[in-house]
Amino acid sequence: MASAETGMPGADNPSRERILQRVRNGLKSPAHQPPPAPPRPVFAPVGDALERFQAECLANKTELILATDEVAAAAAIESVLDSLPSGEVFVQDSPQLRGVARSFIMPRTLRWSSEGRPSESSEATISGCELLVALTGSIVVSSACGGRGASIVAPCHIVVGRLEQLVPDLETALAQVRERGLGSKNSFVGLITGSSRTADIEKILVLGAHGPRRLVLVLQTGG
Amino acid sequence: MAARVSLFIPCFIDQLQPQVAVDVVRVLRRLGYEVDFPAEQTCCGQPAFNMGYWDEARPLAERFVRLFGSAECVVSPSGSCTTMVRTFYPQLLAGHALYDQAVGLGKRVFEFSEFLVRVAKKVDVGAEFPHKVTFHDACHALRELHLKDEPRELLRHVRGLELVEMPHSEECCGFGGGFAVKFDMISASMGEGKVMNIEASGAEVVTSVDGSCLMHIEGMLRRNQARARTMHLASILAQEAK
Amino acid sequence: MSNAAQEFLRRAVEKSGDETHRKIIRFNMDQYDAAFGRGHSRFADWDAARERCQQIKWDAVNHLDRYLVEFETRVKERGGHVFWAENSEEARKYVCDLAVARGVKKVVKSKSMVTEEVFLTPAMEKLGMEVFETDLGEYIVQLRQEPPYHIVTPAMHLNRGQIRDLFKEKLAGPDTEDPPELVAVARRTLRKAFFSAEMGISGANFLVADAGMVAITTNEGNGRLCTSIPKIHVVMTGIEKVVPRLQDLATLWPVLATSGTGQPITCYNTLIGGPRRDGEVDGPEEFHVVLVDNGRSELLADAEQREVLHCIRCGACLNACPVFRAVGGHTYGTIYPGPIGSVLTPHLRGLNEFQHLSFASSLCGGCTEVCPVKIDLHHHLLHNRRNAIGAGTHPGKERRGMRLFRWMMMDGGRFRVLGGLARTAIRLAHGIGLAGTALDPLRPWTRRRAPMPIPSTSFRSLWRKTNGLR
Repeated sequence: MASAETGMPGADNPSRERILQRVRNGLKSPAHQPPPAPPRPVFAPVGDALERFQAECLANKTELILATDEVAAAAAIESVLDSLPSGEVFVQDSPQLRGVARSFIMPRTLRWSSEGRPSESSEATISGCELLVALTGSIVVSSACGGRGASIVAPCHIVVGRLEQLVPDLETALAQVRERGLGSKNSFVGLITGSSRTADIEKILVLGAHGPRRLVLVLQTGG
Repeated sequence: MAARVSLFIPCFIDQLQPQVAVDVVRVLRRLGYEVDFPAEQTCCGQPAFNMGYWDEARPLAERFVRLFGSAECVVSPSGSCTTMVRTFYPQLLAGHALYDQAVGLGKRVFEFSEFLVRVAKKVDVGAEFPHKVTFHDACHALRELHLKDEPRELLRHVRGLELVEMPHSEECCGFGGGFAVKFDMISASMGEGKVMNIEASGAEVVTSVDGSCLMHIEGMLRRNQARARTMHLASILAQEAK
Repeated sequence: MSNAAQEFLRRAVEKSGDETHRKIIRFNMDQYDAAFGRGHSRFADWDAARERCQQIKWDAVNHLDRYLVEFETRVKERGGHVFWAENSEEARKYVCDLAVARGVKKVVKSKSMVTEEVFLTPAMEKLGMEVFETDLGEYIVQLRQEPPYHIVTPAMHLNRGQIRDLFKEKLAGPDTEDPPELVAVARRTLRKAFFSAEMGISGANFLVADAGMVAITTNEGNGRLCTSIPKIHVVMTGIEKVVPRLQDLATLWPVLATSGTGQPITCYNTLIGGPRRDGEVDGPEEFHVVLVDNGRSELLADAEQREVLHCIRCGACLNACPVFRAVGGHTYGTIYPGPIGSVLTPHLRGLNEFQHLSFASSLCGGCTEVCPVKIDLHHHLLHNRRNAIGAGTHPGKERRGMRLFRWMMMDGGRFRVLGGLARTAIRLAHGIGLAGTALDPLRPWTRRRAPMPIPSTSFRSLWRKTNGLR
């Protein structure tokens, strides 16, 4: 089945037609359809989005820092970096984050996303985000936020967000992903809710499995 | 509301637990019902049906529908047998001439506690049983007939009875019909789990609406030298208050 | 009886009597129950959520050809490859040929039941490649060279001491059973693999048709690393994983998490639409989706049981099942254990060989009660039983027994007489002390239970003799 000319195994894929044909034939006999249910809300409506978001972040171990403006945000980011072991920090190359970096007091080894992906030994990554979701305390990122590795490679991921990015629930968030074409413009869109974790050992929750143990969101409320 | 009910006595109760049927009659008569017992009845066909032998079960279903077809109200001390008629006869008799009758009959066949609470609208049947009792939620009654609170309401109105809940009361006891014999090691393991939970409740008596569950649970209780004993709900309700 | 059935019975006997095993599994299930209770309470209307998920999957599966083609078109538009594999061999061959052609030496995998279904890892290892499971539970059972115990928590049968010993032996791990330290050992080891593997293989929780994206869910982030760093990303998935719209995930994601682990939502819910695009910082150069049939289109054709393909592999039915609780995940001997496995395996791997799983159930209905997409699981077990009997594979003795039963029950008088005779015979046997012994006529019953007293009269006799108990 490997096709040497194209270099792509299975370039001819006769099974495709056979499978589709079987599916089409199989569907000729109708299966009982569940009666259409009148739409009932699955979740209670989110009240105050920021309040809900804060509560959810607390529960899922996202460290949420509110910052009144860009200056405060930059200071908050730097103080998080101060709490980490010294090492390379990967930063999404965006005008805002360039500005943040310029305001750093301490010298730091920064690797910008324009130079390539974060290195294996990065101590932290800093990126923006696309959306924030109050219902679950989640952060939506995409490849445009410093790439795929930015939100997963380092033990600490610092996200910079703005209050305007906060939406109440997943329905709204996914509708926005669709409307803004985030899925077509980017090869990756990710919903992140809290720190990486596992309960595979005796159902005991351990944070920081393969992804970041610390997820910090610096949320700019104004400015 | 019918003043007359026809008894549908499961085959195994007829042969192995006749006292349960006697107790059903006593309670119904105490409440003023006239009770008849169509003597030609045998079995609803569930043992064959459950093991996949639908062709063997079907004639028994047809027979049952004809036999009870004209009854206004049928009462049975078994959640699983009532489920067979109400839930499974329509599947078994799909496309059959008796289909409509079966569906109609299914609406007029009631498990005993279901009848008392939902049809007769009686929760106090004048019973007395001063013991600590726990209730096992038999699977068919719970999940197919949606009976959860009804048997408990009846027990709460039994004078002197202390109703306690066991952990995991909804977990299957492990009877399961042919399964109890075909996969007896798993059935026994499940039964041991049920025994553990019964003992944890501290109850002297474990009751349920299904005699088949109780048969299996009793066998496991005795095998494990447990303290509690089984008693069908009907038998508890038959204990008349002085 | 098939070999698989014999093996099943043997393992069931072993595990049913294993007290330690029972304690572990009960502990785990109690934890799950508590977590699920918390998760469930976050929903305003859990039943509405289940209904919606049921509708979504009904739409998806009953228009499967349309949605699969839509998905494929969009994936290809963005430079991804889609390969349709009719069976295990084709699925394995595609991935192996690709890996060989690209000089792949090391592979990292995030959880995919389908890759286990097609035995992909052994095939790649035979070609000299190193394959790392990266989900912690899967990694642990891979090191132990045993199959996963549960589709969501593969290592739930092990305690921390066993994991410490495993890591000491295989990974030169430290002498500690502290869970965070054990996790750190796995993280360090697997991190090296993530950063040196040429190929990342994942499953798909959902294939989103209108977005042309693959949705992958993990808590650990291993799925993210598998799909970010290696230069080739292969998705292996059953054809039934399609959902029509991105919007559907707003309900499916929280429901999957709640049913799977009791969480409000899993940590990483990822959407991958293709390889790295021009201008993106990183990402695989190649993206392949292998759509696996392997018997699913046949199940699809069975209108009565088609809904079994709605399964979102949450594992809730395993957790609810008292049979699973009694014998554990390894007893089934199948990729998919528990109720879904018992329903599905006869379809995917043969009714003849695997029908016993559908019989090894008390039909309690606990599975159906918890299924988030409302599959009528326990009724499908009955359907499989009916089909098995119809296929004529059962011993003639059993059919003859059923025919005798029917004959007896077709006449009230016959039942009365034969019932009475049977009881008399049993009472005689018990009267001479055979109750509970190997010669007890009720031996199949009394092998595991204390004997019960057999009454001397039946209700119908009593009724007749007393003229209606007057």
